[in-house]
Amino acid sequence: MSLFGYQAGLPLSRREMLLRSGTGFGALALQAMLAREAAGKSNAPPLPGTAKRVIFLFMHGGPSTVDLFDPKPLLSRDTGKPFPLKAPRITSHKSKNLLLKSPWSCQQHGASGAQVCDLLPNIASITDDLCFVKSMHCSNSRHGGALLELHTGSDTFTRPSMGSWINYGLGSENENLPGFITINPSGSHGGAGAWSSAFLPAKYTGTHISGKGTEMKVPFIDNPLHDQTKQRKELDLLASFNKEHLTQRGANSELESRIASYELAFKMQMEVPGVQDISSEPAHVKKLYGADADPTKSFGEQCLMARRFSEAGVRFVQVTHRYWDSHGNLKKEHEKLSAEMDKPVAGLITDLKQRGLLDETLVLWGGEFGRTPTAQGNDGRDHNPHGFTMFMAGGGIKPGTVYGSTDDYGYYAEDKPVHFHDLHATILHLMGIDHEEFTHRYAGRDFRLTDVEGKVVHGIIA
Amino acid sequence: MVLRRIIGCLGLATGFLWGAEDYWAFAPVSNSTPPTVGNSNWAREDLDRFVLAGIEKGGYLPTKTAEKRTLVRRAYLDLHGLPPTAAQITTFLQDEREDAWEKLIGELLESPRYGERWGRHWLDVARYADTNGMDEDIAHPSAWRYRDYVIAAFNEDKPFDQFIIEQLAGDLLPAKDLEEKRARTVGLGFLSVGPKMLACDDPDKMRRDIVDEQMDTMGRAFLGMTIGCARCHDHKIDPISIKDYYGLAGIFMSTKTLTKYSVVAEFHEHNLTEEHHKKRWQEVNRLEAVRKKKETSKEEKKRLGKEIATLTKDLPVPFMVMGVSEYPTQNIKVHLRGDYLTLGEEVSRGVPSAWTDGKKIIMPEKQSGRLELARWIASAENPLTSRVIVNRLWRWHFGRGIVPTPDNFGGLGERPTHPALLDHLAHKFVKSGWSVKAMHRLMMNSAIYRQSTQADPALSKNDPENKLFARWQRRRVESEVIRDSILMKSNRLDPTVGGSMLVVQPSKYADRGHLKAHSLVPRRTVYLPVYRSSGYDGQKAFDSADSAVSDGNRRSSTVAGQALYLMNSELMHESSKSLAEIVISQDSPNPTSWLINHLLGREATEKECLQGEKFVNDYGDEKEAWSAFARVLFSSNEFLYIE
Repeated sequence: MSLFGYQAGLPLSRREMLLRSGTGFGALALQAMLAREAAGKSNAPPLPGTAKRVIFLFMHGGPSTVDLFDPKPLLSRDTGKPFPLKAPRITSHKSKNLLLKSPWSCQQHGASGAQVCDLLPNIASITDDLCFVKSMHCSNSRHGGALLELHTGSDTFTRPSMGSWINYGLGSENENLPGFITINPSGSHGGAGAWSSAFLPAKYTGTHISGKGTEMKVPFIDNPLHDQTKQRKELDLLASFNKEHLTQRGANSELESRIASYELAFKMQMEVPGVQDISSEPAHVKKLYGADADPTKSFGEQCLMARRFSEAGVRFVQVTHRYWDSHGNLKKEHEKLSAEMDKPVAGLITDLKQRGLLDETLVLWGGEFGRTPTAQGNDGRDHNPHGFTMFMAGGGIKPGTVYGSTDDYGYYAEDKPVHFHDLHATILHLMGIDHEEFTHRYAGRDFRLTDVEGKVVHGIIA
Repeated sequence: MVLRRIIGCLGLATGFLWGAEDYWAFAPVSNSTPPTVGNSNWAREDLDRFVLAGIEKGGYLPTKTAEKRTLVRRAYLDLHGLPPTAAQITTFLQDEREDAWEKLIGELLESPRYGERWGRHWLDVARYADTNGMDEDIAHPSAWRYRDYVIAAFNEDKPFDQFIIEQLAGDLLPAKDLEEKRARTVGLGFLSVGPKMLACDDPDKMRRDIVDEQMDTMGRAFLGMTIGCARCHDHKIDPISIKDYYGLAGIFMSTKTLTKYSVVAEFHEHNLTEEHHKKRWQEVNRLEAVRKKKETSKEEKKRLGKEIATLTKDLPVPFMVMGVSEYPTQNIKVHLRGDYLTLGEEVSRGVPSAWTDGKKIIMPEKQSGRLELARWIASAENPLTSRVIVNRLWRWHFGRGIVPTPDNFGGLGERPTHPALLDHLAHKFVKSGWSVKAMHRLMMNSAIYRQSTQADPALSKNDPENKLFARWQRRRVESEVIRDSILMKSNRLDPTVGGSMLVVQPSKYADRGHLKAHSLVPRRTVYLPVYRSSGYDGQKAFDSADSAVSDGNRRSSTVAGQALYLMNSELMHESSKSLAEIVISQDSPNPTSWLINHLLGREATEKECLQGEKFVNDYGDEKEAWSAFARVLFSSNEFLYIE
């Protein structure tokens, strides 16, 4: 593992790169690195971290967590009546603000007594491994803005994604794999902005694996000739020409890095398809994820792929499940989506636990916002960035916890509110990074994932 | 909270003492006399003396002039973004006239390939994109006119002051006829093509965010200033206060960028269709509306269909230009801490007086003031603009600016390594009539430009960043150059100029399903539609511009994804196959040597020929073998770097 990524085999060039102002990391990052090297712990992050990797299960569209995890007796009692508190100034749709009770019911589960909807029996069975944050909130009432805020911390400007930040800070665990992979990401509502490295070096950009089913591939990972012996010959000749070119010009770290990059690419090409291939998994594991049959097959396969990447050392893996945007047809849509999502999510967490990986893998579940307790039509809910639930597991999170709460109707985060900035601060903290110290200088300013905000939520840390 | 935000903007710079020297870029441009140097014979242009003085002061010698063969390749890649053909190299090598180099530069500047290359540099600064990206990836169906305008502006050597005014206020310039109106309006894409949050439930916030983005881009692009910080507080490092910000913002709040602010918002386009065509289109639209009505009878619908077909026959599509227009003028109040719900005092529209050396720029009552702002930015009295642009040109030629942060000349940017040289160039630039081509001639004809990369090892060691400009800093070519060069050398490059390839869905969203198909069209990369929401994997791997933000200082990284692209992409395999066919059809006595000369622009060595022949013979199928050998050369460092 190295602090600044997988080119660290060439220490001189790394330092040279750091020194190159404007295109490099800037003098401050260099100083920080040198200071750490001088202190004899060159690769150690500044805090003792508990999580080494993150798997983010992103529920695109905004699941109705007021139905799934946050039942409110007053909402059931007052259904059809006007919402008695003040409605937000800005909403996504005009609304009469009439309360709508949940079409389903929740039960308490496990020692923590966490509430889970009857639609999610598998997640209900593992609540003692989970930590529910029921007081999440964010600043934007639209998918694009909220999605970008969740992924990058900003709903106004293009900023690096949290997966890019984490890789920038911690580097790679497996040099033959990308450090940040996003499986089946959303092309809309921010698109590549959600996995972009923005002003961080390009190698920290997320690698997207898109396409249908098992055709999902890392870009350009397949050699069209399907003949590794022949490609090896090509690369050998290339290396020979490049070395001759280098000899004529004298030592040069950039040219050397490029020579090395072909070897790395070749190794990636050998390793990635194997890691990605879930066919070798035993039947009982596929079954655990629901990767064996519909309606869980597709998302189950993706969750299983995520575990394989994570296990192989990919720092940040994201899997996207969509599309939870039930302005109408709430009952039918959420029942379908829950049935697709419940088993794979519970399967992933159970599998990680059985493999002894859960302690060092932080699993995060949630959407860009939740949904209003008030009705849109008679079977729908609008976006609600003001109060919703996300849950986490592993990676140093306190298991079997319920943290924070919304008001009596489930509209606003009330007790111990947690903003996306706080979530980011907490994730970095768990990874061993102080979010206030972790900066990157760009265009004359030091940027942070949390900008000028963010408080670590110590109440959910074990 | 306020304090925290301010500290956030200042970053770790707090604690540092900022003096007047932070405002160096606001000092008038001086017409500096070139310094006296020891080796005055070395200098080819006055500017060489400024650089040589620094080199001599450091106790070094400049690096020897590069070989002609290296220079000709450098010039082609630099000015056209394409390598020379073997014949072009030979022509230059055989040209023994004393001014062969100047003649070469002159010829290269006359080719349309020049505008495609240098227009692309400006498009980086203009954060150009054919789609909005951000939250809603709405297409910009007429943005390509701005891109073509930029390319043409470089090709025509449009005076840069005029180029600035047209991009900020072309709609406010007088025009004698429709043709001139069109020509003056297309530049306005500059203000409109930026990234916007189009699905914002708060239209007031949306408008202010768009204005902020426009001001920030304008500030970075022309003035090297970061204006955005002053949205919330007086800038502690650059001379812009919160009042100044809202004075400028008043100009842009009096400017129409969108026509609809509710979700999903729509941007303004100028309809510059010929009057009689416009009337026919209006009639077509009216008839279409009737035809769509439920109560219209079947026969009537049929008849209308015929009428519409007759009307639209030979009717050109409307001439639309994406660009801003005017709104009723308004002064706005200071937004305390950037929050428009907490308002302070009202500020008159205007240009910050700290920028104009106290001179007041009068704002018209019935116009936004954009034209006055643009004229001030493009005036010779303004010391920032000419410095910023000559520094950009220097950066694009040499890989490093005299001010190493070309987008930031403020307190948080870096200082110029050669301030007198910067002023010398800025002065010459204005004197030349703001001619960009004159600057190319000057910079490329210098002795500095013609240096070799093969420097004294002590120099490379002690000046790794090449701050002294005492050698040519080898650098990787940009993403577009890689793609275009491979297409050209495999005889696939389609030289078609301009126009749009964008595919728009009826819902107005960009159709990303076409990205793959676009990437396979063998036209120059500058013409591929830029999808801000996604982009082309192969281009992004090689650090193509991030169209979300104005950037005149593209980075250049080395990552494994680049190698994967060169090893496995369809572009590479199709091109190498096509080149293999050429090799075979040539029937050359020494095809290995021919291919090396074709791609690398030099004679092959005996060793390379032997290695190549052995590789091809051992590989198997002849065509596959030559394809593989072509890929090796396309992927080689020698092909990918400007030496």
